[in-house]
Amino acid sequence: MLRKTTSAKVPRNLLFLFEILALLLLFVYQKDELDKFTFITGIGLILVIYISNFILLKVSTGDNYIFLIVTMLISIGIIMIYRIDPGLGLRQLIWISLSILIFFLTYFILKKIKGWENWIKLYAIGSYTLFLLTFILGSRTKGAINWIRIGRFGFQPAEIIKLLLIFLISAYYTNFEKFKEKKYSSYYLMLVVYSFIGLLFLQKDLGTALIFYLIFIALQYIYEEDRKLILYNIVLFSMGGILGYFMFNHVKIRFETWIDPWKYIDRQGYQITQSLFAIAEGGFFGSGLGLGYPDFIPEVHTDFIFSAICEEMGIFTGIGIIMLFLILVYRGFKIAMNQENQFFKIAALGISILFGIQSFIIFGGVLKMIPLTGITIPFVSYGGTSMLSSFIALGILQVASEELDMEEIKDESTE
Amino acid sequence: MYNILSLLFKYIFIIIIYLFIFSIIRLIYLDIRGMGAVSLDDGSYLKLINRKDSLPFKIKEHYPIEDTITLGRHGDNDIMIKDPYVSKNHLQIVEDEGEYYLEDLNSANGTYLNGEKVLDVVKLKNGDRIRVGQIEFLFVSRE
Amino acid sequence: MNQQSKRMIVVLVSICLMFVSLIVYISYFQIFKAEKIKNNSYNKRLWINEESILRGSIIDRNGKILAYSEKQDNLYKRHYNYGSLYSHIIGYSYREYGKTGLELQYNNALLNINENAAINEIKNIVAPSSEGNTLKLTIDHGLQEKARALLKGKKGSIVAMNPKTGEVYAMVSMPDFDVTNLKENWKQIVEDTNSPLLNRATQGLYTPGSVFKVITTMAALETSNLNTKHECTGSTKIDGYVFKDYSGKAHGTLNLEDALVKSCNTYFTEKSLDIGKDKIGSMADKFMINSKIPFDLPTKSSTFPYKENLGKTDIAAASIGQGKVLVTPLNMAMIASGIASGGEIVKPILVKEIISPGGKVVKTNTTQTLSQGTDIFTANETKNMMVEVVKRGTGTGAKINNMRVAGKTGTAENPSGKSHAWFIGFAPADDPKIAVAVVLEEEGSTGGKSAAPIARDIMLYGINNFKD
Repeated sequence: MLRKTTSAKVPRNLLFLFEILALLLLFVYQKDELDKFTFITGIGLILVIYISNFILLKVSTGDNYIFLIVTMLISIGIIMIYRIDPGLGLRQLIWISLSILIFFLTYFILKKIKGWENWIKLYAIGSYTLFLLTFILGSRTKGAINWIRIGRFGFQPAEIIKLLLIFLISAYYTNFEKFKEKKYSSYYLMLVVYSFIGLLFLQKDLGTALIFYLIFIALQYIYEEDRKLILYNIVLFSMGGILGYFMFNHVKIRFETWIDPWKYIDRQGYQITQSLFAIAEGGFFGSGLGLGYPDFIPEVHTDFIFSAICEEMGIFTGIGIIMLFLILVYRGFKIAMNQENQFFKIAALGISILFGIQSFIIFGGVLKMIPLTGITIPFVSYGGTSMLSSFIALGILQVASEELDMEEIKDESTE
Repeated sequence: MYNILSLLFKYIFIIIIYLFIFSIIRLIYLDIRGMGAVSLDDGSYLKLINRKDSLPFKIKEHYPIEDTITLGRHGDNDIMIKDPYVSKNHLQIVEDEGEYYLEDLNSANGTYLNGEKVLDVVKLKNGDRIRVGQIEFLFVSRE
Repeated sequence: MNQQSKRMIVVLVSICLMFVSLIVYISYFQIFKAEKIKNNSYNKRLWINEESILRGSIIDRNGKILAYSEKQDNLYKRHYNYGSLYSHIIGYSYREYGKTGLELQYNNALLNINENAAINEIKNIVAPSSEGNTLKLTIDHGLQEKARALLKGKKGSIVAMNPKTGEVYAMVSMPDFDVTNLKENWKQIVEDTNSPLLNRATQGLYTPGSVFKVITTMAALETSNLNTKHECTGSTKIDGYVFKDYSGKAHGTLNLEDALVKSCNTYFTEKSLDIGKDKIGSMADKFMINSKIPFDLPTKSSTFPYKENLGKTDIAAASIGQGKVLVTPLNMAMIASGIASGGEIVKPILVKEIISPGGKVVKTNTTQTLSQGTDIFTANETKNMMVEVVKRGTGTGAKINNMRVAGKTGTAENPSGKSHAWFIGFAPADDPKIAVAVVLEEEGSTGGKSAAPIARDIMLYGINNFKD
């Protein structure tokens, strides 16, 4: 325990050095309107991250890298958000604090309550309920109906459904032996997942639909015994994609904008081309914090935060973020492989895939490597629900990184 | 003024981020090499040697020894082994002035050192075999 | 390891590969694509930097101001003094339409911004630039005006240059467009089927016709044991395809000089098979055909794909500049220059100097040899033949009193329309001061009749006005 603490100190100290320097810089940047409020944000950030890292080390015997990696990511993210708009920065800090609280809550609840693998129906019902709520209460932003507004706060149910989906698939494959007795049970699972994807499609939330599909097919690839189902899955999705291209205008526009955004530079290609300008302008080392013009990109604080980071902090920082996600995903897989509890093993896999896929889709999107779909970068982008759900996911991963009590599982498998 | 600071800092930021990544990767690397144990370079540890094809309980390949460690079925122990042949508090290894001593804590099925049942406190030397219940460990000392 | 763990590793590796591809892509993007994207006129950052800097002036070789900027209501406004005269050389720089020509190629110099981002940053702090550099061109405004007047109402291009130094004195491409009122005419300019935006001098690819015979001539001179005698009957059949002389006239018994003077097609087509495509091709290569000409403006490469599998007909056609040969006017002016200066091809220069706001010359573009086209003997022999062309052959239209002028005409058959009229040449032949290439696109008349007199006027102007 003692040695573990000392070795983990190096990256932690680097993290604080980074934060302190960045805050110092931001204070100078904002020196004309430097007030208590700015100060509180800064001190708040350092405290929240320091304390949470400290507490985690005390309470959890599991992995202590994933939380460190994530705190680095949120530090880079919030600094950029604060630089773009101090008001948003403060709100993001509140969301982060709340999310970290939820992270610990998730951690304790998951450990306390047993039997997560038995509530598959609950996950399905919960998901459908949230979808229903979205359609009833949802408001349309950027052409997609995926927000529920309650007072001043917006809420994106799809972010929560993502986690329910992972639980659902995990619960299914944990009890695979039982379900297998019923014929076509895997077809039912596929039906349920496809109904989710279809609903997301109707909401015009293509990015999330893609994430759902990729998580599903990855887990199916690992655990499904009926291998031809995977083939069906691929065929079905490609057919759906082609059909969607011809049937839905918004899919077609996305695709055409990707092929040649310069042609539509005044219209739908505006965002992506502005993003490319920003990244190109940044070069390898960036223009320096506060010296670029990231606010030329619409939605820069959410979907396009990566472009803003590349512009002002350089693509070396951009590559740094990509590498942080890479080791996070790697850690997640390592956790899954070491976990004996089947449910948490699959859930850890699902979450690692979620982090990997989601960040890849948006990185690739803003770089015009793949068609752009508006989703957030976990932990980096501004957004309450996204931050919350990402931290819940991290909480699950944290639980999965520990040696969970084996006896109950043993009992069940021998029954 | 701000400009100069900002330009300087952007290089520093990149250096810090990469040092951070590097240090994490280094830790993970050490972790993998140690198979989940804390660095095995400089210390004594127990190495699992005979392992039945499938043990119905969880066990690691290595257990590092620092100061005093205890082994048993109960969760209080440093090394917890859910083997029905292992007592709740089975044995302990105590370090004293650089030497390690093995002591059986009145276990039901006993502890065997190199095939002989341990009755009293025994000094451990590098390469000793310790058998507990269905499993056997090799004692490795670097001192 | 069980199967599920193996599959997990497969998934992990796929995700890792995706991330690695991201890193590779972003690096590729930054190294190869960023520069071009940054200069897109929709990039507002460009203009933020520029709006605080007084863009430098552009002057001709004698100091005449061609373009300048001035402050109006806190905004810098760009002025172009000569409407369409420099539309392909200087181009324009407008927020709405972006940048072209030298305004684009020398943007950083005109704004006094360093090309290197890191140095630029430091410079911005130490001494922020507020005034750009002046570009001094090699263009002679008087000749440029004259050249444009000569081409007025026609389509085509004129390139006049100093054969020894490579300095371009005049470069005209017609039709052109007025850069001072782009707003009113933009739609019309863009949609015009005559493509006024295209700089024909550097990017127009034309069939050269008989002007290409100078290349074949030089290849013939360097072929030992070539029988240079030929009996011309007005037409010849090669591999089933009939090559005719202009209006089918028989030239009788000819040697190489007579053939060039009379521009005899049957002579060159028949001899081309003896010379061989590789000999002609490598001569063309040495005169910068098939290679990118480094220039201050974007260029297209002339082509003669002799390395491809060409039939006898193709080789014969190429020897008289028909078929698969395509050249730019700039390249032809360089070929004329090369012959004029003893076989040495120099790099064409358009921007002579970059002058700082303080009046100091920051950069001078000096003469560089690009290639040794041929040796001095072949060059001189070809020159003498070209002098005869002007004296007694097809190029008499370019004759200047009391002076030896070298030249070659061309009338290029154009599969998509009327023939192009060509003339390349230089004067005085014994101490060349100016080399010129003239092409009149789809003129429908011979090079001797329509292009040679234009070239003559250009050369005459150069001889009378240029001291060096």
